Amino acid sequence: MSERTTELADLVGEEHAATGRDYAAGFVTEIEADTLPPGLDESIVRAISAKKEEPSWMTEWRLDAFRRWLSMPPPRWAHVQFPDIDFQAISYFSAPKGDAPKSLDEVDPELLRTYEKLGIPLHERARLAGVDTAGEDAPQVAVDAVFDSVSVATTFKERLAEAGVVFCAMSEAVREHPDLVRRYLGSVVPKPDNFYSALNSAVFSDGSFVYVPKGTRCPMELSTYFRINAENTGQFERTLIIADEGAYVSYLEGCTAPMRDDNQLHAAVVELVALEDAEIKYSTVQNWYPGDEQGNGGIYNFVTKRGACLGDRSKISWTQVETGSAITWKYPSVVLRGADSVGEFYSVALTRNRQQADTGTKMTHIGPRTKSTIVSKGISAGNSQNSYRGRVRMNPGARGARNYTQCDSLLIGDACGAHTFPYIESKLPSAVIEHEATTSKVSDEQLFLCQQRGIDPEKAVAMIVNGFCRDVFRTLPMEFAVEAAKLLEVSLEGAVG
Amino acid sequence: MAGSPTDAAGLAERVLAQGPSRYAPWLDRGPHLDLLERRALPELRAEAWRHTNVGRWYETVLDRTVTPASSYRVESPAEVEVVDFADARAAEILQLRGEETYRLSAQPIAAINALLLGAGVAIRVPVGCAPPSPVRIVELPAAYQRVLVIIESDARVELIEEPSIYTHRLVEVVVQPGGQLVHRRHQAASSHRECNLAAVRVEAGAHYELSQLSLGGDLRRNDIVATLAGDGANVTLRGAWRLDESRHLDNQVAVHHRAPGGTSRQTYRGVAADRSRAVLNGRIEIAPGAQQSDATLNTKNLLANDTAEVYAKPELEIYANDVQCSHGATVGAIDDDAVHYFRTRGIDEHKARRLFVRGFLREAIDDPDTAQILGVIQ
Amino acid sequence: MTLLRIEDLHVEVDGKEILAGIDLAVDAGEVHAVMGPNGSGKSTLANVLAGRPGYDVIRGSMTVDGADVSALSPEERSLRGLFLAFQYPVEIPGVSNMEFLKAAVDAHALGRGDEPPSAVDFVKRARVAAGRLQLNPDFLKRGVNDGFSGGEKKRNEILQMLILEPRLAVLDETDSGLDIDGLQVVADGINAFRANTNAVVLVTHYQRLLNYVVPDHVHVLADGRIVHSGDRKLAVELEERGYGWLAN
Repeated sequence: MSERTTELADLVGEEHAATGRDYAAGFVTEIEADTLPPGLDESIVRAISAKKEEPSWMTEWRLDAFRRWLSMPPPRWAHVQFPDIDFQAISYFSAPKGDAPKSLDEVDPELLRTYEKLGIPLHERARLAGVDTAGEDAPQVAVDAVFDSVSVATTFKERLAEAGVVFCAMSEAVREHPDLVRRYLGSVVPKPDNFYSALNSAVFSDGSFVYVPKGTRCPMELSTYFRINAENTGQFERTLIIADEGAYVSYLEGCTAPMRDDNQLHAAVVELVALEDAEIKYSTVQNWYPGDEQGNGGIYNFVTKRGACLGDRSKISWTQVETGSAITWKYPSVVLRGADSVGEFYSVALTRNRQQADTGTKMTHIGPRTKSTIVSKGISAGNSQNSYRGRVRMNPGARGARNYTQCDSLLIGDACGAHTFPYIESKLPSAVIEHEATTSKVSDEQLFLCQQRGIDPEKAVAMIVNGFCRDVFRTLPMEFAVEAAKLLEVSLEGAVG
Repeated sequence: MAGSPTDAAGLAERVLAQGPSRYAPWLDRGPHLDLLERRALPELRAEAWRHTNVGRWYETVLDRTVTPASSYRVESPAEVEVVDFADARAAEILQLRGEETYRLSAQPIAAINALLLGAGVAIRVPVGCAPPSPVRIVELPAAYQRVLVIIESDARVELIEEPSIYTHRLVEVVVQPGGQLVHRRHQAASSHRECNLAAVRVEAGAHYELSQLSLGGDLRRNDIVATLAGDGANVTLRGAWRLDESRHLDNQVAVHHRAPGGTSRQTYRGVAADRSRAVLNGRIEIAPGAQQSDATLNTKNLLANDTAEVYAKPELEIYANDVQCSHGATVGAIDDDAVHYFRTRGIDEHKARRLFVRGFLREAIDDPDTAQILGVIQ
Repeated sequence: MTLLRIEDLHVEVDGKEILAGIDLAVDAGEVHAVMGPNGSGKSTLANVLAGRPGYDVIRGSMTVDGADVSALSPEERSLRGLFLAFQYPVEIPGVSNMEFLKAAVDAHALGRGDEPPSAVDFVKRARVAAGRLQLNPDFLKRGVNDGFSGGEKKRNEILQMLILEPRLAVLDETDSGLDIDGLQVVADGINAFRANTNAVVLVTHYQRLLNYVVPDHVHVLADGRIVHSGDRKLAVELEERGYGWLAN
């Protein structure tokens, strides 16, 4: 084990303004880190487990996952291209030095400043940045801040506890709520589900744990903010959200990373469990560093997200706004087991420069009268490749089930690609599947109308693209919809040739 | 699996031992031999064979129990040149084709066709020629068959493939600038396992139209590759199928827009009953620079029982921005409201369903024979 | 004072000459009607004024308030007070009318060096204009022209004109697709807009709009040239006799 100070440079300086103007989150935080050496073997898995002071069942669970991972090949079917990853060159654990803070007052001020700069308040008075229009009546948001491999702060814990809601770092949940963790961890995404879920199960660091008890409506939005800071370090967070019978929770995830020339791996697993009449709304605004115009650097975002509608009439809704990452490989899915359960997937994925995204969803209908809706909006610009990949499966028990899918692609410029790969599988006549897809561009007529009214082309394209995404943005909590629209606008700067 | 006669490597070995056939010795089989020597045939669980057990077809290749027709039966108008594919003249017609109409690496089992080829015809419709009657391929006397069709500039003709028995049939078509081919295929219900590939290149301002009616087989796989290679080419593909018992039909269609201003239209309607399985993978690919392409695919499927299965995978792969592309797919049951409406007009339920299905299939192919061939006539 | 001056304007579309030497001067406070048969170049004139891509000025000049606008981008012309009401307004799904108008009004304010209006003031203004055109306030929340009827699209164009208050409004076939009630409402909007400081160019095939909006001058366009000019009596004559007698 080595301890070293992370190498640092503030990339937001004037000299980098040309490349950094559209990625404001690209700075590095100067903080002493406790980092495991690169490489992966059983001793590393044990070391991670020991650092987190985990019980032995957790260590064994990780080792089992690690052994399975060793025999699995990485997936190659996605419409993305990248050189093989050297898993021995990555460090699997990095954390700010020192004991874990016991309260917000003890958090390293440098970390507080980092999150402040990113617009994420780690004190309990302020609202999220960019919500100025919402004023004092804005709903408060509880935040779990994950910095590299550890959770550095979780706000509003006491107020949530009053409502019986558990919101804490995953490592804390392993110690404090072992029964829930043992029961549900890996129940939705089994360890050997795929190559990256097996890897995550072996080395996962931190992430959020949420439990909303029976009949409880979570009193505020929950949010986790992921930040990769250290160099050559993978982030392997693990999130588990359980909504007990009749419970409701809305959860938001945000992510950024510094601009670095090397690719960094982010292989998360998110599991959602909705029991009878429960509802989980999970929103992501993904803004990992996408790499530069030549395709150097950026995050490899290889994530497994899946929800299980276990109970009757339960509902899981995924909304994602993806603008970041060099490569995205991500299919937030719903297994619709309970009768009359509902799954939703709303997605905006924007790619530019040399970004590649292969993202979509899987809706697996098992229970009777289950319903799913998929709305995917892909925007490709520059030299990027943007693919929707989705599977809708009607299993024999899904009598009266329904799916509706709408996939639209918008191309900006003639050097990019937009692709649609839907898999439609049905084994019973009473289930109905409808799928539609279109491809279009921002038309010259639309652009000319805007210009004739005095709106410059860049602003016009941003407005038209926002309009194209409206069906997805309206499913986001209001303040995040504003943030998402702004993010899109910034990402489109310079995309109009 | 290694060594088992139905795995890809084992099959390649056995095919190499059987062939090459002595038919059409002038044919360059180099790339096909090479593919087999590299053991590059599809493995059992290959993505392109997700819904068809290619091993069951390999069994058919090996046991050679298929009894094809005993003679050539090809009918054609006098203006059209038709020669046996073994004839030296066929080699000259093949020269007219230019480059291959499909990529062997994407269609590896075509290598088996080349190695074991036993019968075929080469057809040439001369410049500007528009015969009044169709070219009709009734039957060819071999398990591995080849049909080559060259429609020269501004010529137009109708080509009909009648139901027949084979293990693999390869149909290559080139429609030269301004030419037009209307291609009809009827595939009767069959207890055989068969694969075929129709590979078509459509040049500038040319039209190609395919209507395919199918009742499925013990295993039936239709691969269609249509390339719009010249400006303003036009491709229309229509398919209708009705499967029952435990029949199987796997349609794999790819339409490649390689030149600007092309239009492609694909319409499919399928009904699957009993324990049958229907598959449609339909891909639209727009190459860089193929601006002003206009491509649509529409497929609708009805499931008649809980035991039948439908798989649809309409895909778009787009590398040009000034294009109009869309696809739509639905899977469901016979519309009960429609059946009810018929019944209120005095039509019994059984008949009402048949009428509904007939109308549904005719959305793809509106042809007086459709209902009769698909067995839904009263 | 001359607001718009066009001199010897030649315009090509796809390499084909559509306008073959147009001369036209429009003074502040005037309404000009440009009439002519289909294919005479009326819409080309409207589009080239607004700077539509693909309409190439081969020769001649177009000046607004004394400055040649030929080389300006469409949005720069808009900020100088040139407004085009489109014959076929395009749909922009997902972008609300309100959002679109606010972006346009903000761009114009910034162009003048003013602060953009507050959201509240803007909404008030938009509601008043919508009321004048007998459009339901919900109309402002709908996507730009998305699913609008032909008449609604035309009213929407006039609504934008009233809010942007241009110096020169070019209305391209604004009367087509309108029923009698719609025509009256649109004409009222145009008449309310008329002032000594601005000018209107009505491009139209029929003279029926001219019964409601009385022009000071009428020009007839044929084969890319103005072949005849007169006062409003010319429009009535055209209605009776058609265009044939002029072209020959």
